[in-house]
Amino acid sequence: MNEDPVVQATGAVPDGTGPSPAADALSHAGALLQVRDVRKVYGEGHTEVVAVSDATMAVDEGEFVALLGPSGSGKTTLISIIGGLLSATSGTVRIGDVEVTGMSRRDLTRFRAERVGFVFQSANLVPFLTARENLLYVAGLVKTPRAAAKSRADQLLEELGLIGRAGNLPEQLSGGERQRVAIGRALMNDPDLVLVDEPTAALDTAMGRQVVELLRREIKARGKTGIMVTHDLRMVEYTDRVFEILDGELTHVEEPSTLGH
Amino acid sequence: MGLATVEMRRAKLRFGLLTIAVALLVFLILLLTTLSSALISSLVGALKGLDTQGLVYSTSSQDNIAASRLAPETVAAVAAVPGVAAASGIGTFTTSASISGVEGDLQAFGFTPDAPGAPTALSAGRLPANEAEVAVDGDAAIGDVVVIGSQSLEIVGLLRGAQFNALPTAYMTLPAYERAVTEINPGLPFVPVNAVAFTVAEGASLAEVAGAVSTSVVDVKAYSLDEAVASIPGIDSISQSFGILVGLTFIIGIVVIGFFFLILTVQKMRTFTLLRAIGSSSGGLARAVTLQIVVVVVLASAVALLLTLGALQGINTGIPVSIDPVTVTGTIAAVLIFSLLAGLLSIRRIVRIDPSAAVGSR
Ligand SMILES: Nc1ncnc2c1ncn2[C@@H]1O[C@H](COP(=O)(O)OP(=O)(O)OP(=O)(O)O)[C@@H](O)[C@H]1O
Ligand SMILES: [Mg+2]
Repeated sequence: MNEDPVVQATGAVPDGTGPSPAADALSHAGALLQVRDVRKVYGEGHTEVVAVSDATMAVDEGEFVALLGPSGSGKTTLISIIGGLLSATSGTVRIGDVEVTGMSRRDLTRFRAERVGFVFQSANLVPFLTARENLLYVAGLVKTPRAAAKSRADQLLEELGLIGRAGNLPEQLSGGERQRVAIGRALMNDPDLVLVDEPTAALDTAMGRQVVELLRREIKARGKTGIMVTHDLRMVEYTDRVFEILDGELTHVEEPSTLGH
Repeated sequence: MGLATVEMRRAKLRFGLLTIAVALLVFLILLLTTLSSALISSLVGALKGLDTQGLVYSTSSQDNIAASRLAPETVAAVAAVPGVAAASGIGTFTTSASISGVEGDLQAFGFTPDAPGAPTALSAGRLPANEAEVAVDGDAAIGDVVVIGSQSLEIVGLLRGAQFNALPTAYMTLPAYERAVTEINPGLPFVPVNAVAFTVAEGASLAEVAGAVSTSVVDVKAYSLDEAVASIPGIDSISQSFGILVGLTFIIGIVVIGFFFLILTVQKMRTFTLLRAIGSSSGGLARAVTLQIVVVVVLASAVALLLTLGALQGINTGIPVSIDPVTVTGTIAAVLIFSLLAGLLSIRRIVRIDPSAAVGSR
């Protein structure tokens, strides 16, 4: 993905030191994900809400970062734009060699199926499909051969400790188990980017920790790049870096957490 | 993996109930169309099935063959009109008779074999060739006997869809018919015919020849066969009433299917939104809904067909009823097509989904 030799040299080590955001940490050429001057305005006139204001950030391949901010700060809006779910008012999002902003609706649908894995806060699974079928369904979207899809689904379920529950419908699973199935689903198509929106919101703290830990393990084991939205500081320790957002503005970028490793 | 079929397997009760509801509606539609066409055919079948191009009634008949009276000489007068190829008298009256040993009302028709006005709707056997034979549309078998007055006529043929007045109808030669009439009305100076059936010469226009007959023969009016059938008293209102019933049932059925799938779609909006967010195309989801509609309607139609066949076995309508494959296929095809159109309501909702709504939904 990274064709620029300079990036190869810098590797996945983020630039910048200390709490102040360094310009080249926010945006450097060759990062897997590059967000540049992204702005999102909802509504018009005096109902106008600036949800994201000129956000610029970069995430390298293999990084697992947190997007931290209070409620209403624009976290969901920003990762929706990154994942091709929502169009930006202005600015660009680039994943690898693809520019997400400016794709047609149809191309975005395919892009989401092939290159992005989503874990939403809740209502993550198709209720009439079993855990295993939820994984197999997304494999079908990108026409993965049946046998390969089956073995990959079983492997993921195994790793997520769900192999005994593979035949259960979502309603027969606990909240934590459901989020683990969603993680499996997000990883199923070997995406470039895993986007996770408050995965622990519906879970108690212990269960939340367990899920995020597993999420980190899976992302790291597969060398995936992940962004996790959270407003819970305690979850930040599982990530490499933190982007903070307040009132739509990215305010703060942190070095990789020492606890997280 | 078929999303549509997996869902139906997992929600058997829901889709089963829908299928039953649709099946009952399709059953009602099939039963009504079958019965209405049976009733109409038992009222007009005799005229419709006559082997003729036109019919001549007396002017005083008010378009009703049963009220028309023509002197036997009229046949020759009609035949003499330029453009008429052949003409032949038809008599008909209602009497009581015994068919295969069962007493009851009978509509008798008198005709001339191999001349205009002979019946066509033979289902078995042959038409009568002499005064001792008869063909019947009613509850009878070949070889049975129709006793009418002093005459015993042997049934040599069976007809279908050839009834008149919704009565068992017997077709006999004119001499046998005249004898039957005379026995009941001994004082008649002559036995009138009710109509003259005529065919037109090749190249002549039926409408023009009919006009010529009406003007050049005294006190008659000539009709094409279609006009004569359409003007049978009461036919209009009967077919209209049944048309309204069938139409309403049809509309109700389509609305039920359309709204049911719309409700199912709205209930599943969160799931559809999720599916769109993780990369399913709206087209794929629309196809899933379409497939479900097709499966429900096809299953329901099969059940409805069985119910209709069963009902027609079980109920005694007093008139001959048979299922017309063309009508059945047409009805089912129409239900399917309009159901799919009603399904567009759901598909519109799916196409309008904003996939970003899946993120952070509670
Ligand atoms: N569809 C929308 N129309 C109008 N305003 C919106 C819409 N979606 C979000 N907003 C507004 O944009 C701002 C950012 O919303 P967003 O959902 O991105 O916040 P968030 O950081 O994810 O919050 P939370 O932690 O509560 O999920 C909020 O002020 C919100 O009210
Ligand atoms: Mg949010």
